[in-house]
Amino acid sequence: MTNQVIPKRRHKPGGAALSTRKARQGWFFVLPFIIGILLVYAPIVIDSIWFSFNTLVKEIDPVTQVAYNVVKPAGFTYYREALQNEEFISTLLSGAGQLVLNVPAIVIFSLFIAVILNQKMLGRAAFRAIFFIPVILATGLMEAINLQDMLSGSIEGGIDTGAEGGGELISMMDIDMLFSNMKVGRELVTYVLGLVNRVYEIINDSGVQMLIFLAGLQSISPSIYEACQIEGATSWETFWKITFPMISPMILVNLIYTIIDSFTKEANVVMAFIERVHLIPRVHLATAMSWLYFLMVLLIVAAFAAIASSFVFYQKRD
Amino acid sequence: MNTKTTQAPPPASDSKHPMRVMFQGRISDKDRLRMKLTSPSFWIEKVWFFFRFVIMLGVSYVILSPFLSKILQSFMAKEDFVDATVSIIPKNWNLQMYKFLIIENEYFQAMFNTAALSLICALLQTFCCCMVGYGLAKFKFKGNKLVTVLVIITMAVPHSTLRLSMLQHFVSFDLAAIQSFNMKGPIELIFGNTIKLTNSFWPLIIMSMAGIGLKNGLYIFMMRQFFRGVPDELEESAYVDGSGTFHTFVRIILPLSIPMMITIFLFAFSWQWTDSFYSELFFAGAVNKTWLLPDIISTIPPSLETGYAGKAMYYSAIRNTGGILIILPLLIIYLFCQRYLVQGIERSGLVG
Repeated sequence: MTNQVIPKRRHKPGGAALSTRKARQGWFFVLPFIIGILLVYAPIVIDSIWFSFNTLVKEIDPVTQVAYNVVKPAGFTYYREALQNEEFISTLLSGAGQLVLNVPAIVIFSLFIAVILNQKMLGRAAFRAIFFIPVILATGLMEAINLQDMLSGSIEGGIDTGAEGGGELISMMDIDMLFSNMKVGRELVTYVLGLVNRVYEIINDSGVQMLIFLAGLQSISPSIYEACQIEGATSWETFWKITFPMISPMILVNLIYTIIDSFTKEANVVMAFIERVHLIPRVHLATAMSWLYFLMVLLIVAAFAAIASSFVFYQKRD
Repeated sequence: MNTKTTQAPPPASDSKHPMRVMFQGRISDKDRLRMKLTSPSFWIEKVWFFFRFVIMLGVSYVILSPFLSKILQSFMAKEDFVDATVSIIPKNWNLQMYKFLIIENEYFQAMFNTAALSLICALLQTFCCCMVGYGLAKFKFKGNKLVTVLVIITMAVPHSTLRLSMLQHFVSFDLAAIQSFNMKGPIELIFGNTIKLTNSFWPLIIMSMAGIGLKNGLYIFMMRQFFRGVPDELEESAYVDGSGTFHTFVRIILPLSIPMMITIFLFAFSWQWTDSFYSELFFAGAVNKTWLLPDIISTIPPSLETGYAGKAMYYSAIRNTGGILIILPLLIIYLFCQRYLVQGIERSGLVG
């Protein structure tokens, strides 16, 4: 065995610095996504936007008598038409209203349940298994079935339509009576009533949020709670002074996710409306409408994010 | 017997100490019980335990009850839907719906196709989102924020917005070809014509590989949050030992993130399984109508067709039975993987 010569570390004069190398490696890891966006997704999006500004006209060649499609620029015609369509505007507004009402309910409910699921209790494993069933199963399948029912129902004009659909859990009258004595204001009463009747929807929509909150709760260091206990804080104080600030980044994430999720699912009123326009068929108009809708929701997300990020507390790492 | 008597009484000098009096068993069990029962915090706790349990039961009921009624309905005979005395429990139990859905809608064929598709897509998506999420979490490069925003935007664009142009792009598939400006892609330039990819797995496979498939934005985001919680020291020590970046990723990071990957896989698999948007879009002209599982609810098996009064409800029950048949395999998988789901997310350390 000859003495092995330990190679001297070569210093390449043109070699990249560590930060540059790390940056390059970073690009390597996100490469699949970048390629996908550039080669597949962006063309689809550009075509879709272009689609809403143009119109296809069938023309017949006078000589050969062959029909062919001619693309004619339509400018903002479809957008103007969409904005002048009263039904679309009212659907858009009611959709946005529903969103604004549903989102806080879903976020608060999922936080509440996640806090409970995080505590030690009887049958926690079983409850967790049950609570995450909606995450796995209720992704549009049940809605698709209901939609099919509605479609076939409306075609047949049957008597049975809606027999199951709007089964209200508690009659409006009961809660009305309960709240009318409490002098809390009409709006609150109707809001609570709406929530109670949409409880199924809300529970099924908050599965993923529950998971995200649970993960956030798990990552809070137990030593903080210990310190709190020693200082003599009640659990109520601990929640508002420790859990809430620590979980607030997750609230922001969930807020954004909930908005995006509830407006892109097919059960959404606006999505259903656009779907109908699509089927008429006014494809260009439907595309224009959905881009308008996308803009509106982006605005709502930005507004919610701006409000929420003002109270979000980021724990400084080290 | 003897052991009790041999226990020496506490020394007299010690027992006089006031603290000793309080803590060394001088308070009888009865007193202790009384103290416990009269303290408000004890009762608040007990009431909270009870209240919590009731809430949990109630929510579980809300989640499970629609399944229960649908399952019971699926066993009903045709007559039960017009029978006013039948509300929840079927009178004439039978398996007609299951039988004809399975035979005439070719359930097993559809299940096989869906399973293959979901498995391929879920594996690709899990790996791809893992990689992209790792890149976004651990490397500071120019454009990191931009890519993150792009991820969120792909999550936010409603699929129906892109439906038409997506279909066009996959009917005549080419890379980076913007049809509206007559921009031709490399495939057309080299081979002279584009490829038709509809009615095959390819559209979904391509989208899964690129991380732009169904809800992939969420997976990338979750992975990113997970990797942010993994301490940098782990990789640094691997680098010091001479391991390359990719090698470190495959050998150190991936084994570490298996529970999280199972979570993502479960999401991807089950959401692809029940997805009807893409299956309707890309498989519209398939050879037979029930090529993938979500299709079996859109056709009523010919043998079950009737033209009588309770038709709408009956057909609705048939569709729900189809839904149960779609869900059943997923539910079985879920029961096995469920503990990984919670575990994976628990370790994710999603903060910041």
